[in-house]
Amino acid sequence: MREEYRLKYLSNRVLLMGAVTLIYFVIEAVRNVLLGIHGEETVLQACIYVLLALLYLIVVWFGIILPYRRSELLVHRFLDGYLTESSDFAEVFQSPSMKLQMDEIEKILRSPKMIDLNKRQAQYLALQNQINPHFLYNTLESIRGEALIAGLDSVADMTEALAKFFRYTITNVRNLVTVQEELDNCETYFLIQKYRFGNRLQLHIEYDVEDWEDIISCKIPKLTLQPILENSIIHGTELKVGTGNLRIQFERTQERLLIRISDDGVGMDEETLARLNRKLGRDGNVLIHEEEARGGIALGNVNSRIHLIFGEEYGLHVYSVPQKGTDVEITIPFAVDESRVKASFM
Amino acid sequence: MRQEVFRMERVTYIDKGIKQLEDFNLQIYQGEIMGLIPINAHGLQGLLQLMQTNLSLYDGHVYYCGERVNSWKSTRRSVNRIGVIDGNSRLVEHMTVTDNIFVLRQGFRQGIIQNKLLKGQLEPFMSDIEMDIPADAYVDKLSAFERVTVELLRAVVAGYRLIVFNEISTVVNGEELSKLYEIMHHYGKQGFSFLYVSPHLEEIMEVCDRVALLSNGRIQKIVQGEQMKAEVVEGYTLEYDRMIRYHMENRDPALWEKKEILSFSHITGEALRDFNMKVYERECLVIQNLDNQVYQDILQVLYGDKKLKKGACFILGKRVQLPASKEIAVISAEPTKTMIFDDMSYMDNLCMGLSRRMSGVWKGNMRDSIRREYGPVLGEEVFQMPVELLSEKQRYQLVYTRILLQKPKVVVCVQPFKGADLEHRVFVWKMMEMLLDKGMSVVILTINLADSMSLADRLVRIGKDGIVQEVKREEFGSLSITAPWLNLYRTEQER
Repeated sequence: MREEYRLKYLSNRVLLMGAVTLIYFVIEAVRNVLLGIHGEETVLQACIYVLLALLYLIVVWFGIILPYRRSELLVHRFLDGYLTESSDFAEVFQSPSMKLQMDEIEKILRSPKMIDLNKRQAQYLALQNQINPHFLYNTLESIRGEALIAGLDSVADMTEALAKFFRYTITNVRNLVTVQEELDNCETYFLIQKYRFGNRLQLHIEYDVEDWEDIISCKIPKLTLQPILENSIIHGTELKVGTGNLRIQFERTQERLLIRISDDGVGMDEETLARLNRKLGRDGNVLIHEEEARGGIALGNVNSRIHLIFGEEYGLHVYSVPQKGTDVEITIPFAVDESRVKASFM
Repeated sequence: MRQEVFRMERVTYIDKGIKQLEDFNLQIYQGEIMGLIPINAHGLQGLLQLMQTNLSLYDGHVYYCGERVNSWKSTRRSVNRIGVIDGNSRLVEHMTVTDNIFVLRQGFRQGIIQNKLLKGQLEPFMSDIEMDIPADAYVDKLSAFERVTVELLRAVVAGYRLIVFNEISTVVNGEELSKLYEIMHHYGKQGFSFLYVSPHLEEIMEVCDRVALLSNGRIQKIVQGEQMKAEVVEGYTLEYDRMIRYHMENRDPALWEKKEILSFSHITGEALRDFNMKVYERECLVIQNLDNQVYQDILQVLYGDKKLKKGACFILGKRVQLPASKEIAVISAEPTKTMIFDDMSYMDNLCMGLSRRMSGVWKGNMRDSIRREYGPVLGEEVFQMPVELLSEKQRYQLVYTRILLQKPKVVVCVQPFKGADLEHRVFVWKMMEMLLDKGMSVVILTINLADSMSLADRLVRIGKDGIVQEVKREEFGSLSITAPWLNLYRTEQER
């Protein structure tokens, strides 16, 4: 017998009991109908039994079977890695203790501590880049080169950019910042990278002029754009021969802000893309495992923070074609004030 | 600010245990013509189903006109006001155009139908799009393009904000398609949005603002504007392009202009009058039907559905009854659905054509030798598999190998690329090229010239008055149609 049909499970025992009761009702109904036909019972009695059997069937179907199926679906989703909220189970808790259990899980997953932990992870990732010897050496090498070739102006510029980047990443402790602030940080980061890559790297920022004023004041989580931009450079354009173009496109709809960070780099195959999107869709595991690739960590981290702050309807989605490039689409609710976000996450 | 009309957010949809869509994201804006290219068609039917009906989702949300209409959390099983227009008519037959557009729509409350009034209401719509379809015409008498237009008008009048065109170029011809694009742009300006599903890149490039690439139930990439040419055309058609270039360079016209093999003489049907045509040995002839009634007549001649009013068919000068003749084989449109019998074994399906040529095909030793010969080509595993479990490619292979075994003189392929995604198109193309290489004549009956033109040695365009135009291969470059490979003919000419 298949494992899921075994009687060691309570659900199967209940199902069996239900089926036995239903069979009893059906037999009784048929017997009474037959007796009614032969005049040994009144037609009314026969009708009552038929109605009782139907009523039992309806109650069991709508009251037990459908909610049970839904509850099973939710548990399967949870096991599959989807973040499930306690409210999703609202009508289908199997017992009061299960409700308490779900409340507790949700409390842990959605606590401000978790947000802080994610934010710290993002800061750590950003800092790690500065500690990363390659980054440091390349930057210092660029500074040295510039100092030798030209005057001191560019050295000053680079130093300023680095200082600005550190200040934004570490000193600014807010969870939500404006698009303008994030974009400034991206440009600073790009400026630093530009010294390393020279003209091999181009950044284009595209937006609808009519909406620009609204867009730049929209609130988004801090360190949303820079980690993705960094990802596009390291995993996309750095490996490409020739000039790499990076695009940040902003689009506003009635409800949402769409930010698309694209590169025309090496892209990724269909399987990797599917795996990445699967991971971004299921963030039950909000803390990212260390063994995962760095690119995955950055995207996963940004995605988790968006989910935690705005809800699972928002987040990241990746599109990619091998040798054609990758687009990371960030979806965020359009909000210029912070009223849409829980106070504890500010 | 752009207004979203339709959005699918991270949708995972499982039907009968198979993941049709996974982490599927798509948004369509107001007034936009969004393209969708099925690189492979897995998930396309699921997507169209989900757009129309709110079926239960495993994950994700669906929004239409700013409202969440479906979510994995709660499914209402309601119907969305999204129109789908494809090869199958959704109009009610034996009713007039106005009945279909006005009377059958939700919310029509008039107790007595005032035809004159409805006719008056239809008039501005018709003049808007510069069409002239009689209001009182029965829809079953309309041409395919008129039917498509009426379906579009019905959707517009009913207030559907999103209309899907699915492989519409298999129904309407090039000139009509251009007119349809004009109508789409007209309604696009009025705020109606369209999803245009087609594996033909040149159509997408002509009409769409953005295009989404569908592969294995996921959107692989969304591209727009200038990127469309660079990413879609160059990225996906290189193999196809190389294949066609090779075919064109190696196809010797002297091969086929020798012997007349099939001829139609004075064929007269419902719409077709005194139709005469010849097919030569080893040639690939493309017949483009410009009229729907004529198309139906030709199909009836091929399948022997109706007795001819007048005329006859000849193969090598001998008069033949078409469906019964073993010298001619017909591959129907969407053959993987229409020509394979799921309750028969793979071998039985394969040998069906051969049985017309020789007896004893059902005996063990004959079948063993077929298996020995074709096993390495088809794959040994297919002979053990239940036919319904074959992949789409294996099903195409089965149909074309069946024809190969039958060895007819002429193979008529009815809309061979219909319903095939980008991947399978290349495969179908190769299969037809193989038939030509084996010395058979291939006649392609089509409405859309896109893929067929690349194989053709001769093109015949048929309308109500019989052959409207006959074009030889060396003159293809001068055709004023939208087909992807014309530039290759043009460069060939220039060379």
